[in-house]
Amino acid sequence: MSRRLRVGLISWAHVHSPGLADALRSLDQVELTGLYDEEPERSRAAAAERGLALHEDLGSLLAASEAVVIGSTNADHRRYTEAAAGAGLHVLSEKPLATTVADGRAMVEACRRAGVQLATAFPVRESRAILALRDAIRGGALGRVLAIRGTNPGRYPGSWFGDRKLAGGGAVMDHTVHVADLIRWLLGDEVVRVQAEVGSYLWGLDVDDCGIITMDLAGGAFASIDCSWSRPRTYPTWGTVTLHVVGERATTDIDVFRQVLVRYDDSAGRVRHEPWGEDLNGRMIAGFVDAILAGRPVPISGEDGLRALEVAIAAYRSSELGRPVAISEL
Amino acid sequence: MTLRFGVIGAGFAGGTHARVLARTPGAEVVAITAEPPEHARPVADDCRIRIEPSVASLCAADDVDVIVVASPTYLHAEHAVAAARAGKHVFCEKPLALSLEQGRAMVRACEGAGVTLAVGHVVRWFPEYVRAKQLLDAGELGRPGIATLTRGSFSVATARPWYQDPALSGGVILDLMLHDLDVLRWWFGEPERVYGKRLTGRAGALDYALATLRWPDGPIAHLEASWAEHDGFRTAFEVRGDKGMLVHDSRASAPLATQMAGGPAGPAMIPMTTLHETPYARQMRELVAGLSGGESRFVTGREGLRSLALALTVIEAADSGEVVRWRPPE
Repeated sequence: MSRRLRVGLISWAHVHSPGLADALRSLDQVELTGLYDEEPERSRAAAAERGLALHEDLGSLLAASEAVVIGSTNADHRRYTEAAAGAGLHVLSEKPLATTVADGRAMVEACRRAGVQLATAFPVRESRAILALRDAIRGGALGRVLAIRGTNPGRYPGSWFGDRKLAGGGAVMDHTVHVADLIRWLLGDEVVRVQAEVGSYLWGLDVDDCGIITMDLAGGAFASIDCSWSRPRTYPTWGTVTLHVVGERATTDIDVFRQVLVRYDDSAGRVRHEPWGEDLNGRMIAGFVDAILAGRPVPISGEDGLRALEVAIAAYRSSELGRPVAISEL
Repeated sequence: MTLRFGVIGAGFAGGTHARVLARTPGAEVVAITAEPPEHARPVADDCRIRIEPSVASLCAADDVDVIVVASPTYLHAEHAVAAARAGKHVFCEKPLALSLEQGRAMVRACEGAGVTLAVGHVVRWFPEYVRAKQLLDAGELGRPGIATLTRGSFSVATARPWYQDPALSGGVILDLMLHDLDVLRWWFGEPERVYGKRLTGRAGALDYALATLRWPDGPIAHLEASWAEHDGFRTAFEVRGDKGMLVHDSRASAPLATQMAGGPAGPAMIPMTTLHETPYARQMRELVAGLSGGESRFVTGREGLRSLALALTVIEAADSGEVVRWRPPE
């Protein structure tokens, strides 16, 4: 059997943490070294439920691992990344990379200095539909891509996602970066200017829950993102990721999480989606681990995370100033 | 007392209005003109009405009370002013005009002549938009937070030449997005500021535009208008308030679908209607009621002027790349 990478999971704070743990356990090329979490009670319950080795302190997890996956609050990404990089470990951080551009830059710099790799969790890149679209764009089937309307609306996730200190913002911070990353990656282009309207109208939160972001790309295309927490409690699923891509030769629609059964559930008194699509987290982590094992650059880097974060930060500033904001102003 | 109508233009709009008027109680369509007049032959034969040789002769006709202006957009002002000067009421297809100056001249001419000016913002008579308006007005959705509206159709590559020239048609914002801009004013009143992007003139017969509007206390609205919808006409909207969300998609609400052996039946501007009273018929019923002194909610010239001005403001934002504060005319 080929070599396995020893990977630890930091923090159970994120709604994605259980999925990340399951994905790590399912991969042949990973030896899951266990969990460190900042809340003892939560971590004991999680470790017991998922059968994870529990590390009472961070140093113990870092000593046992060659790489970490960080599923903490957004605000904690930086300190965990710096600790892991300082111990010579590669890092895969949940999105958004950080809550400020300065923190994101510091993470990239810390990993560069330590000679370790930093990766950002953008699993939607692994969607077969997205990959097919990328092939179609690269193969010229769409002609030049002129415009993209993207959406990633969801429900308000609850817990710390509505806490400005821990999350860095609301819906814009949470739901801008996936689609911003997809657009950059699909077009092989960079966002240069951002306009946004951001508001808090739906959930009675101190943070924003509505946002529409419009972006100019360096190559001349334009794009928008609906990042709102606009799905009601009664919506059949957490949310959606969609792209409407207008090319010179074709128009394409993608609805990434459309592979569902519609379940009419009398016992729950509601309709809900039963997804049957592939596990994107597992594929994303496999891409990260395989790159580390082979000594190749990770497929989705810390810089990728930083570029997407810049769009969210610029969006907040644009809405506040009432004018478009250039990325170079950040 | 029957109102007698004359129609200028025998394209999609002129033909639709003439055929509708031929069956509208209280109305009678007596004459039509087109450029060249022979273009009106099929409609004239269908409706068993005479063809007038010119706009001037139609306006001078003693047996005409109301003129329907369904000529190309760039001729609306000239034709509406001629009709008003002849003492005829005017129903003008949307957009009211190409410019604010033209629109103002039309309103002035009709008010000066003491005749009615109505504008064909027919979406206000589409039942799905009417139902949404009722629910919003009744507070059933709570405080509106976000609204997204989509309207798309074929590229104008096979349309008449004037339609392919943004200087004559106004492009996708003035011709198509205008519908949803009017809907937003009707639903939510006057917005505060406007941003937009458009392809107009950069991609041949393809056109595509996005706009973001903000109301002082919500909602934030995002509009998408496309002349790159190669499968044909489509409308969609989502309206989310803090008590719930409405979702409309014309492709998911067609009660009748027919597949032709040998492939698609060919392009159609608007999908086959599945209502006993079409929105076009309802629009004319309201106009006839209003002109007969009854209660009516037909869209006035001043309303049409405001929606025209809003579309021009989106264009100004798109072409300047700046957020533009909305100031309704007058």
